[in-house]
Parts: sequence; structure tokens; C-alpha cells
Amino acid sequence: MSDPALLATPLLWLTVTLGVFEVFDSLSKRCDRHPLLHPVLWSTPVLIALLLASGTSYETYKAATFPVSFLLGPAVVGLAVPVWRERARIRRLAIPIVLALGAGAVTSIVSAVGVLALFGAPREILASIAPRATTTPVAMAVAGQLGGVPALAAVIVLFAGVFGAMVATPLLNALGLGGYRARGFALGVAAHGIGTARAFQVDATAGAMASLAMALNAVVTAALLSVVALLV
Amino acid sequence: MRIAEHVSPCFIPVMLRAIFLLLACQLAGEAIHRITSLPLPGAVIGMVLLVGWLALVPRERPTLTVVTGWLTAHLSIMFVPAAVGLIEEGPVLSRYGVGLVTATVASTLLTLIVTALVFRWAFVRFAPEGEA
Repeated sequence: MSDPALLATPLLWLTVTLGVFEVFDSLSKRCDRHPLLHPVLWSTPVLIALLLASGTSYETYKAATFPVSFLLGPAVVGLAVPVWRERARIRRLAIPIVLALGAGAVTSIVSAVGVLALFGAPREILASIAPRATTTPVAMAVAGQLGGVPALAAVIVLFAGVFGAMVATPLLNALGLGGYRARGFALGVAAHGIGTARAFQVDATAGAMASLAMALNAVVTAALLSVVALLV
Repeated sequence: MRIAEHVSPCFIPVMLRAIFLLLACQLAGEAIHRITSLPLPGAVIGMVLLVGWLALVPRERPTLTVVTGWLTAHLSIMFVPAAVGLIEEGPVLSRYGVGLVTATVASTLLTLIVTALVFRWAFVRFAPEGEA
């Protein structure tokens, strides 16, 4: 362990990251992908503890794990594929999709930034929560663009996804908001990938609507926030 | 060895073409982002470009589906390195932690309700065929 040459290669932290993630991922798989057992939720604190214990700087870690985080870009571009696959559905449901997407995206941004502003948070923190309904890679990119903290955005988004996936069914049941299309779409807009995974567990149509909503919301929220950033 | 069992020999070069398509769209997105100073992230512009390309050249693309499916299936681990960056955000979390949790909870609940309500209303009003 004390060989500096070996410690200096990206190999060590890349391997440790994949290993730690795999442990929690198989645990999550075994528990039917329960939102509370999301592997990122558990591997992040473990990896932070390992970095602190070994006295490794985040700079070193970030450089070592670059090959993994680099894939986020192509993955975001790939969201085009579900949108394209669902084009018939988009055309058929164009009006509900456009209206619900617009209302949901605006509600998400205004309520998140508004409530946090009541706590006196500075602009940097507000910019990190503003894209909280988009899928993590987009939220990180948008937060960075607005002068926020990508790491903070990633964790907020994760928390929102876990929370949304857990409350959606009881909440929408209690309000009598039925219909798998409406529910799935709301889950995708409010709780991105984790919500989408949950929607697929409930119903295939809900899942398809959720993944479509997630992909469309990535563009709409990013565009809305870009316009806001230009004006403010 | 497992790859050789499941994937035909001509599959790999086609796979490279799918990866090239994704990277080319992202690169073009980054270029547009920088040249026009459009504040959208390059990857998001790249996604719009890819939708445009698929519409322009519509045909079956099984390998693109496989590659993007693989990326989506492993999306979670890609943001672990960023989430570990919280290691440097201790002061922010201890100062605004309560506000961050409150705002995220409130925003997620409201977004779920408003989106489902508006979707159902518009569905009944404009596309009445079956259940929303």
C-alpha cells in the first residue's frame, strides 16, 4: 500500500469505486431496488470515509475516476433514444405533455429555489437546487453553468428521486389522482431516473411515460434555467 | 469470452459507429455551446441534435439502442465521483442542510401534484381516449 507509484495510478480509486458500488448495487438488486437502498446513497459515504481514512485529496480521487464520470455526457445524449422511440405517443398526447411538462418544470424550480431562499441561502446554493428535478448528469451540468456546486446538485437530485419514488403512490392515491399515464409522467418530471425505475415497477405504461418525462424535462428545465440565468 | 458468445462478429464495428454517433453529437453540442455561448450544457444540446439526426435519417438502430441501454443501465455509478465531491461541502451542508432538505421535499411533493393534475386535466380536455 505504501508504494507511491501504485497509489499514483488511477487504477486504485477506480477499482475501489467500482468494488464499493458493486457491493451496494447487488444488495439493492436483492432487495428489489428499494429506493432507500439506492447504491449511490450508500457508496458515497463509504468512499468519503475511505478518502478521509487514507488522507487522499478529492482532486486525486476525481482525476482517478474520470473515466467513469466521463460517460455521463454520452449517457445524456443517449436520452434522445427513448424520446425518438416514443414519438408516436408524443404526437398523440402532445397537449397534455406540453402543458404538464411546462407546469411541472416551473413548479419544481420556483418551489425549490423559493423555499431555500427563505433560509437565506446564497446564490451558489440556490443554483445547485434549481435543476433538482432533472436527471443527475443534467443537473450537475446546469448547476455548474449557473455557478452552483455540481456535487451538491448530484446529492440533492438523488435525495429528491428517492423521496419522490417513495411518496408518489400514497400521495397520488390520497389525492385521487389516478391514471397510469398522468402518474408516470409526474414521476418522471418530479423524480427523474429513480422515479422512473419506480414507475416501471408499478406499470409498463407508467414507466414509458416516466422515462419520456425525464428526458423531456432535462431539456425544458435546462432551457428555462438558461433563460433565467441570462435575465438575472 | 462472453461477448463472443452473444454478439456476432460484425456487431463490434457497428457498436463503434453507435458510440461515434453519441460522441459526435456531444462534441457538436459542446462546440455549439462554446461558439454561440448558448447557456444550455453541451450534452443537452447533443441530445437535441441526436433526436434531430434520428428524425432526419429514420431507420432501425439496434446497436444504438444497445449502447444507450447499457449507458442508462449504468448511469448510477457515473455520478458517484461527483457525489463524493460532497467531501468538500461540509460547511454548506451543516449551515443549509435543513433548508436543502425542506426545499427538496416541498418541491418534489408540489411537482408531483401539479404535473399529475395538469396532465390529467389536459388529457380529459384534449385527448379523451381511455384513462389518463
